[in-house]
Amino acid sequence: MLQPKKTKFRKQFKGKMKGNAHRGSQLAFGSFGIKSLDSKWVTSRQIEAARIAATRYMKREGQLWIRIFPDKPVTKKPLEVRMGKGKGSVEFWAAVVRPGRILFEIDGVNEEIAVEALRLAAQKLPVRTKLMVRRDFVSQQ
Amino acid sequence: MNTVSITAHKREQLGTKSSKELRRQGNVPCVVYGGESPLHFHASVADFRDVIYTPNVYRLEVDIDGNKVPCVIQDIQFHPVTDAVLHIDFIQLVDGVPVTMEIPIRLLGNSRGVRNGGKMKRVLRKLKVKATPENLPDSIDHDITNLRIGQSVRVSDLTTTGFEIVNSPSAVIVSIKTSRVAVDDIDTDEDEGEETAAATEGGEETKSEE
Repeated sequence: MLQPKKTKFRKQFKGKMKGNAHRGSQLAFGSFGIKSLDSKWVTSRQIEAARIAATRYMKREGQLWIRIFPDKPVTKKPLEVRMGKGKGSVEFWAAVVRPGRILFEIDGVNEEIAVEALRLAAQKLPVRTKLMVRRDFVSQQ
Repeated sequence: MNTVSITAHKREQLGTKSSKELRRQGNVPCVVYGGESPLHFHASVADFRDVIYTPNVYRLEVDIDGNKVPCVIQDIQFHPVTDAVLHIDFIQLVDGVPVTMEIPIRLLGNSRGVRNGGKMKRVLRKLKVKATPENLPDSIDHDITNLRIGQSVRVSDLTTTGFEIVNSPSAVIVSIKTSRVAVDDIDTDEDEGEETAAATEGGEETKSEE
């Protein structure tokens, strides 16, 4: 699963997820991709599940790019522990996703396979998504 | 380069408020620069559909209230969520003044590597080209018929006439990767090699006999 190799600080504040994504909102590598329509924390487990779903359907053909990285440590206090006594320990890592963010990109497979692979990947994610196709893509059909 | 004519109107008021109003009416605010002074105008977003969502590049003849301006698209801004066209930048074409724009690469032929089961990997689809308006090409064509598995085409391999490619000469455009179903692509060459080797051996033998 994805997580940073090292961080400057061990724990972070929750932060806000206001507005739309402006960086990473256009396809950069592949011909197809999925774009987030919601703002949410996407965990490293969800990213990994989506990646596996897409690559399995592609049967080791083509190429897949993950355009988000879970660089936010999310902490949790143990069960049945009274409040206070400091912040909990890091439970998982998440990527802060805002509307407009490209999540995955695919290339090297035909249109039908790419669309289905991305649909399967989208099912593993906590956000609503929409399919993106490269602006200058010419369908072979 | 193919030319497309677009009817546009000069923008009387500039700023966010008027831009939003234009977009609400189905127009897109635009600017053309590179001439004497920047010209702000707006046109219907539907007119640009064939120019934006295509692999080809076009020379545009924008008719701004009777004033015809030849130009090419320099930059397009899209809404991050809806992907609606928010703004278009054009660069004016002035005779003799070079402009830089992205030109599509067109690969011709079916490569030998792909015929033998290799996978073609496109890395670059467009190249930044600097040329005067009269020398701007429609596309950069390159024949890949003899491209074998493991070989690649770089920017330096392209032939340019009248224009200059801004991208790094070592940048890879397309490469043929090997795959599990790939067949050895050295049969003909091996045969040729063996023949030449046999010829040289024969030659040596004849020499030794002498």
